[in-house]
Amino acid sequence: MEGRLANSWRLTVNDKNFIKTALLSEIRIDGRKPFEYRKISIKFGRQVLASFINVSITEPTFTHLYIYMLIIMVIYREDGSSEVQLGQTRVMGMVTAQLVQPYRDRPKEGILSIFTEFSPMADPSFEPGRPGELAVELGRIVDRGLRESRAVDTESLCILAGKFVWAIRIDLHILDNGGNLVDAANIAALAALLTFRRPECSLGGEDGQEVIVHPPEIREPLPLTVHHLPIAISFGFFSNESILVIDPTHNEEAVMGGRMTTTVNANGDICAIQKSGGEGVPRRVIMQCLQLATSKAASITKQIKDAVRLFSSKIVF
Amino acid sequence: MENKQSSSPASFVDSTVVPGDVVLDLSSMTNQTIKLGGGLRQDCDAISAMKAGTLRFSKPNKYWIESSQKRYVPCVEDTILGIVVDSKADNFLIDIKGPAMGFLPVLAFEGGTRRNIPKFEVGTLLYLRVVKSNFGMNPELSCTDASGKAAEFGPLKDGYMFETSTGLSRKLLSSPACPVLEALGKKLSFEIAVGLNGRVWVNAASPDTIVVVANAIMNSECLSGAQQIIMVDHLLKNIQ
Repeated sequence: MEGRLANSWRLTVNDKNFIKTALLSEIRIDGRKPFEYRKISIKFGRQVLASFINVSITEPTFTHLYIYMLIIMVIYREDGSSEVQLGQTRVMGMVTAQLVQPYRDRPKEGILSIFTEFSPMADPSFEPGRPGELAVELGRIVDRGLRESRAVDTESLCILAGKFVWAIRIDLHILDNGGNLVDAANIAALAALLTFRRPECSLGGEDGQEVIVHPPEIREPLPLTVHHLPIAISFGFFSNESILVIDPTHNEEAVMGGRMTTTVNANGDICAIQKSGGEGVPRRVIMQCLQLATSKAASITKQIKDAVRLFSSKIVF
Repeated sequence: MENKQSSSPASFVDSTVVPGDVVLDLSSMTNQTIKLGGGLRQDCDAISAMKAGTLRFSKPNKYWIESSQKRYVPCVEDTILGIVVDSKADNFLIDIKGPAMGFLPVLAFEGGTRRNIPKFEVGTLLYLRVVKSNFGMNPELSCTDASGKAAEFGPLKDGYMFETSTGLSRKLLSSPACPVLEALGKKLSFEIAVGLNGRVWVNAASPDTIVVVANAIMNSECLSGAQQIIMVDHLLKNIQ
């Protein structure tokens, strides 16, 4: 009993009141305006190791060669992993693929699945083991955004109808909880999907029914076909006088009455909307949210694409 | 080598120590009383370090180890900020960012009797003093100073509380005043309470001032004195 009390994170009465009163004069505790997004930084597997190279330069020449080779190997393996930092929030995305038999009702379609991992390191209130309510909801929102809008072309993942298709698995690890996990996880998933490359396959054997997976050294691996990027943008609603904020922080999430996550892409198509929390929202406000989300989605899409371009331009070492 | 170091205790002061270092040898300092602060333990005549950090000494006789961490390890006579979690018949349960809940006896207030037990709702922020912190026991807190006066202790009204590391909160309390506070104090008027458990409470007349002060303090963690002053100037210019 006491252990659980010690582990749960709590907000003081002072903070709750301050967040509400400051919002009345359009001030947020981290100095943002209500419709301002936090700074996003997107990193990929290899960039984490870039500092490693610099350190190794000072070593004697002989070890140089060895460490360089090691890094090339690591670069190779870090396709399809991303780390997104949104203010204090940190999420790691990881994409892997496996050859499986397709579902019987969809013999020509690949499989896309999303798994979330909420570590107690990120927030002491996350319990290890079974996924909590928030973990399930987060996975569902990201999943819906990608699947319902057909962002990932699953038909191109089919190798042999009814026998072999690629199953793409996206793992989302929450590393630090600074609020608005959904948006950060969604960006991490997209960034990881864009950098992921699967090995090339062809059919062979006597009857042409055998699948040959070509090792990456022999044939260049193929990227996934991603048609567009559905970006999740979350809003928080506060009880009095329909105060609306974008990208709520951890503290604001504890105070706000309701939240809504809209998934839109840069073209202005609405892919999904998730409304949770008790507070009712008038139609006028939803339209306002969608307009805000569309403009934010455009800038976030650009940011993801720039980061991915920078990463893939450097991959040739 | 071990003997050589322990024979000159002053040599360890203000230097970095790691767990297991024997920092003081009591057999060579028989006729004095010393007080041990956080991170030190006594095994017979040897005083050894229990965590990594810098050994500090304050006259006349207090030794402690200073380090920066997110979790607070309670230590006697520290002043801290706690949040009320629950109230029981004899104690309030207080979250102090430590490994265990702190107990605040309901009588530990100035002139406290059974008749005038204060009522705190869950989430009230209190400025407290650590009275006991023994191994395997919940730390005991108090809302009075050593002579039983209320001093500045007790509930904090309004304002905003944020969390930092224990190292930063110690820096904020150091004298001469921390550069960030001095620079802010020249331009703005605000009220501040710093707990050694890495919690800082700020109050001012307008919310903008609170936000500026809170962010300046949070940003100052890894900056040098001169950088802190530049950062504060930059922040103040932005709001004017």
